[in-house]
Amino acid sequence: MTLNIIKRTAICFSLLTAFSCTDNFDEMNQNPVGATTPDLEQNFNNIKGLIKPAFTRLYISDVTWQYQLQQSLQADGWSGYMTSPNEFGGINNHNYNLNQNWNGFAWDDAYVNIIANLFKVEQRAKGKYDQFYAWSLIIKVATMQRITDMYGPAVYSSFGGEGLATYDSQQQIYTQMFKDLDFAVTDLTARVAQGEVSKFTETDQSNYGGNYSQWVKYANSLRLRLAVRISKVDPALAKTEAEKAVSHSIGVFKINNDLIKIKSPLDLNVIDVMSHVWAGLAMGADMESILGGYDDPRLAKYWEPSTQFPGEYKGVRTGIVYPTPSTYANFSRTGARTKTGEVTWMTTAEVYFLRAEGALRGWNMDGSAKDLYEAGIKASFDQNGVDGAAAYATDNVKKPIDYVDPVSATNNAPAVSKITVAWGTTNEENLEKIITQKWIATYPDGQEAWSEFRRTGYPKLFRITNNKSGGVISTELGVRRLPFPLSEATNNPKGVESGVEVLGGPDNGATRLWWDVNKANF
Amino acid sequence: MKKIFLIFMIVFTAQVSLAQVKNVKGVITDSDGMPLPGASVAVQGGQKGTTTDFDGLYTIEVQKGQSLVFTYVGLETQTIVVGDAATINVKLVQGASNALNEVVVTSLGIKKSKKSLAYAAQELKGEELTRVKDANLINTVAGKIAGVAVTRSSSGAGGTTKVTIRGNSSFVNNQPLYVIDGIPLYNGGAGQPNGTFGDLNGGNKDGGDVVSLINPDDYEGMTVLKGAAASVLYGSQGANGVILLSSKKAKAGAESFNVNSVTTFETAAYLPEFQSDYTSNAGDPRSWGAKQKVEGDKEIKDFFEVGNTQITSMTFTKATEGASTALSYANTNGSGIIPGNHIKKNNFGIRQTSKFFDDKLSVAVTANYVTQTINNRPTNGLYFNPIAGVYSHPRAFSLNDLKTYEVFDPVKNMMQQNYPGFAAVNESNENPYWQINRQKSIDKNNFFTGAIALDYKIAEWFHLTSRYSYNRNESNFQKGMYGSSATSLVHPTGRYINASLIGTQNYADLIALFNTKINDNFSFNGTLGTSINHSRANGLTIDSGIGGGLVLDNIFTLGNFVNNNGNVQTGAEREVQSVFAAATFGYKDYLFLDVAGRNDWSSTLANTDNPGYFYPAVGATAILSEMATMPEFINYGKVRATFAQVGNDIASTITSPTSGIVAGNIVNPPVGPRRGTSLKNELKSELELGTEWRMFNNRLGFELSYYTSDTKNQFLQVPAEPTNPDGYSFYAINAGSISNKGFEVVLFADIVRGEKFNWESKINFSQNRSKVNDIPSESTGGRIVLTDPGSNSYRYSLIEGRPFGVIEGFDFQRDAQGRILVNDDNTLQRTDWKEIGNANPDFMLGWSNTFKLGAFTANILLDGRFGGEVLSLTQAINDFNGVSKATGDARNAGAVNINGVRASDGTPVTSMDPFDYYSNTAGRNGVSSQYIYDATNVSVREVSIGYTFNKTKLPVFQTATVSLIARNLFFIYKDAPFDPNVALSTGEGLQGVDVFGMPSTRSIGLNLNLTF
Repeated sequence: MTLNIIKRTAICFSLLTAFSCTDNFDEMNQNPVGATTPDLEQNFNNIKGLIKPAFTRLYISDVTWQYQLQQSLQADGWSGYMTSPNEFGGINNHNYNLNQNWNGFAWDDAYVNIIANLFKVEQRAKGKYDQFYAWSLIIKVATMQRITDMYGPAVYSSFGGEGLATYDSQQQIYTQMFKDLDFAVTDLTARVAQGEVSKFTETDQSNYGGNYSQWVKYANSLRLRLAVRISKVDPALAKTEAEKAVSHSIGVFKINNDLIKIKSPLDLNVIDVMSHVWAGLAMGADMESILGGYDDPRLAKYWEPSTQFPGEYKGVRTGIVYPTPSTYANFSRTGARTKTGEVTWMTTAEVYFLRAEGALRGWNMDGSAKDLYEAGIKASFDQNGVDGAAAYATDNVKKPIDYVDPVSATNNAPAVSKITVAWGTTNEENLEKIITQKWIATYPDGQEAWSEFRRTGYPKLFRITNNKSGGVISTELGVRRLPFPLSEATNNPKGVESGVEVLGGPDNGATRLWWDVNKANF
Repeated sequence: MKKIFLIFMIVFTAQVSLAQVKNVKGVITDSDGMPLPGASVAVQGGQKGTTTDFDGLYTIEVQKGQSLVFTYVGLETQTIVVGDAATINVKLVQGASNALNEVVVTSLGIKKSKKSLAYAAQELKGEELTRVKDANLINTVAGKIAGVAVTRSSSGAGGTTKVTIRGNSSFVNNQPLYVIDGIPLYNGGAGQPNGTFGDLNGGNKDGGDVVSLINPDDYEGMTVLKGAAASVLYGSQGANGVILLSSKKAKAGAESFNVNSVTTFETAAYLPEFQSDYTSNAGDPRSWGAKQKVEGDKEIKDFFEVGNTQITSMTFTKATEGASTALSYANTNGSGIIPGNHIKKNNFGIRQTSKFFDDKLSVAVTANYVTQTINNRPTNGLYFNPIAGVYSHPRAFSLNDLKTYEVFDPVKNMMQQNYPGFAAVNESNENPYWQINRQKSIDKNNFFTGAIALDYKIAEWFHLTSRYSYNRNESNFQKGMYGSSATSLVHPTGRYINASLIGTQNYADLIALFNTKINDNFSFNGTLGTSINHSRANGLTIDSGIGGGLVLDNIFTLGNFVNNNGNVQTGAEREVQSVFAAATFGYKDYLFLDVAGRNDWSSTLANTDNPGYFYPAVGATAILSEMATMPEFINYGKVRATFAQVGNDIASTITSPTSGIVAGNIVNPPVGPRRGTSLKNELKSELELGTEWRMFNNRLGFELSYYTSDTKNQFLQVPAEPTNPDGYSFYAINAGSISNKGFEVVLFADIVRGEKFNWESKINFSQNRSKVNDIPSESTGGRIVLTDPGSNSYRYSLIEGRPFGVIEGFDFQRDAQGRILVNDDNTLQRTDWKEIGNANPDFMLGWSNTFKLGAFTANILLDGRFGGEVLSLTQAINDFNGVSKATGDARNAGAVNINGVRASDGTPVTSMDPFDYYSNTAGRNGVSSQYIYDATNVSVREVSIGYTFNKTKLPVFQTATVSLIARNLFFIYKDAPFDPNVALSTGEGLQGVDVFGMPSTRSIGLNLNLTF
């Protein structure tokens, strides 16, 4: 090194003023412990390495505060699952005073840490190593489905183009997502038929271990989720896509081993950390009312009894006036379900409930609505390791119970959900049951629960009591979307403008998304 | 016969030689032994004459019996008759006007007569750096140089110091360049904290730097070059000013052995005030319980120990004709005021100079090695910081109760943290004694510097100098944290961090120096050179992490890690190649014109339009007192003006973005240039005007400088739109500018100059106004956030049109009459983020006095900062927790008086329950405007009273002095509840705020100095 310097210096000095020796500046200016492109091409690492991070980012599973910003402070609260036991931070989503310093995180993280990577995968793999491209499309759809269901319009087709990106409407995004799934499913299905040895094994951080067939099942199940999501706004397309998913040769999730989950690389559970270590998450009052009312065995899996009221599961209502910061500090905190480092992306139970709703809507879902509904309950019971699904599924007595706030009676409220578990008669009644059971089964994924609540109005949830949105967001309807992130408003204002144009309403939390049509469920 | 012939021959030869001209050489020095370059030597009555070179050396041809006249402006002329000696060394003593004879070390180590300088340069003699010694040399500069702001780190002995010269002019780095004997010093460190909470990875750490490691006794003085003009020859690195240090040189023909021993005792001063009347309720971490005597100020203060620092240094020097040696060793041993905090430092130094080939070639070789170990270096913020628990612990428990910091858990067969009052510890609440004993840290630094300097005298007027130096700084941080610490910081099985950073710098230059008198009227002094500076920093961090943990509990070694997620390697390299030229034209020794220019090529600008950039400087000086007849009382008068630019490169790797690999994942480079754009250098332009006067027999003098500077094309990072295809989080751009203007006054007076009693006084005054302009539109809300608040109520920002470094926070929302708006639920309305203070002083004043009475010498330095604000989140959190005196007083009074109004119906609200009030307004995320304090403070910075023993009565010593010394003795005025001269970070962020920083210390001790 020293010799080199002396040599170079000597040469440079001999040339003195006229020239300088700047030839190796580029090499010098590179991160010496980084990775260059040629090095990474070995063993497809330049592709695999870009896909792998998505496993910890889709639902952030390693850095607790990031998950808190990604989803916990928004959908996990609005879904009625859980809430902050104190008035966290003053400007608080839970009382509809939307905190934009939090609400852009999910968007920012998805684009920077997933979509930018997958864009590079497309450039490196498309047409050459299509199995990787196919795989990246499934992950892309999983990511973007969450993003568009939060914000509505987003950057999809124009990502990676020249200049600042413009936004697609949600309808365009859904259409494109179906197409991307088509490519992925077709490509991987053909490879399954050919018996190709999986190239995903080392990279796949899920329980699938790189199995192509399982990824096709996940893609089909995602397609079914997307189809049901648009069933009110575009019933024809919804039916086609849903039937395509269910009738596919590899099909959708059917047994609990099909569900997709990942393990936190740090073996920690961010929800557990927030609830127990930070004392920042308590059980939602809706959980107490609904699961408590049904005497649901999953309640004890999801939550721990309150230390303040031993033996009782006590929830906290979302969006209330907190008498003191510590009033609800010792209400129920999270239980065994969120004790492991596992994060479930999509459950088999959800797929049964999606099929049940499809059947209810008259689609060919390979089963009757009632059977699929009960199969969903059974799948969820099994997944949580509790017994008694059969009796539970046919219980036509137990109903959600009234909520009693033992420390602040102003928050007391009669149960808003009035249904039993057992299959009923009308479509509307049965839809409410399907969605309510799906809501229980999907815990703790508040994002899906919040989306379905917006689409169907189910399960019926307690209203907030302390609406601080300044009249923007109605207490009755709740938050319908997240405003576009500050990061985009500041750094890509034209893009946001194009997004507002296709949003069809003001860029606030009250504007309904494309699939969130204001009309009856049937 | 033979003998006679021989005698004849000798006599004849002698006669011949007597008649012949001979060469006389020698060195001309001032009364302190400093060589005088440019002094005139002439043969009386003859034509011959010469001037001395840079080392004060001359050679002249002269005949025996003739007289040589030695002159130097401002010194008394000496005439010496040439005898048989071939060497005539001359010491010129001060004449009537001593301002003209001062020699200062300027850029690249070149000595210049101070009178010819076109810019402000202020010197400190070695004595001023060692009189009231501090473990960090730089701390002794505070108050002694106009325009230099010195802010200590709150990390105690061995901590870094922030030095800002003429205000902040950069968004990313404002530290000056340190230069030793003309060679830039690598001053890298492991970074500075910038989190309001603290750092999850071991707490808010002071990553150390190199300049804090050096031994003050190795240097005979310091020169501060304040402006851009002064530092143009150093290029980029000198843009924020240059601090030059000159090694002690052995005096010819002498040998000496010097021992210096300093022992000081430090006590915690300026703690917050605590209540002692209210306890805490069971299970409540806050102390808002029943009235009951609890521990108060005294007991809390008793947590802190009396610190002790011992610095012993030895210097051995010897010089013979043509060679000199200086050896030094220093040992620093100290214990801090927080239990468990210790520092050990050893400095070794050697300097050897030799002359060859008829003294034409001189070679100087220096090497220094420092090793420093700090145990439990104090942190700040909420994490890993015992101070938080000491102040905040619920008062139902005393610190004494907390001393049982662990209890045996039979289930796990191991000790577990015990924090009475807490059901479960969390990141902000851990038992302080646990933190001290079970989260121990060690900071190690090893620094080596070696340099070789060659100087070849080709002709009297032409030298060629070349230097090479190698700097290597190794820093290492280790922390072993036991399980049962807060699980958000430490895995239940424990956590181990071992972070190393190795920084190296290779510097080489080649410089041609010209110094000649063209004729009697015109002189020329020129420099032409080229240099290369290559630096590299490689980091290796292993961290078992918060989530991963250790396989076997509390075994702290890499082989015991569960996973690889926290192990990171970093690296960066930078090379700057330069050519430069400078010239000073002198006319009659009273008019000087300076021109200089430099071109740098920096590797950090690879892949840009041009990696090279040029910048010039021009200056003029006139010695008015020599040009015209002045009134009798004026001894010296000078005016000067200069304009200069300095270019500055950007951070490494930015223009060559490469992916990183962390735990097997490819990580996108977080920052890069926007597609289709390029980056360029920053550019600082500065205009400086000054004047210097001395009068009344040099007993009164002043220097005045005015400057205005503007630094544009600032390199900064703005958030990228998240939908950018490169996955960048930030774009690197050139935007924004900072302007600074201000003036500096240095005033000195020999107030009393008597046989027995002397009183010298010196005042340093400076004022700086900064303004931030052209904040790019991409920056959220028209500001660059230097310290992100997290969810706390302190944000440190650069805001368009405002001075550098605005403190932002929350204020009460008030009605038109200024009344606080109160909600129906008794909460108080607050504003959004707003400016609540500014961290910069309006002006600074240092006043030093030296009194001499017989053998006694007393020094006292008063140091004042006026204006600016600081925020105390410590006080806010203490209020929230109900442990502060304010909350005790409020409870005793029954209510807090407020000027409020109910927002719903307009009813006045005049008082509030203290619990409600403080729950609403206090805490780390409260209404921070209530915790803003005036940063103005005046302190007795240094005091020393020394006694010098009578030389003639000493047995073996040449000199012996003993002195009583004190540092930070007390504040004459202070508003803030902490010492505003201490910062949580010596980086750019986290200024003007206190979050459980270690209290400032008062230090008193003894200094013994012996020379054999």
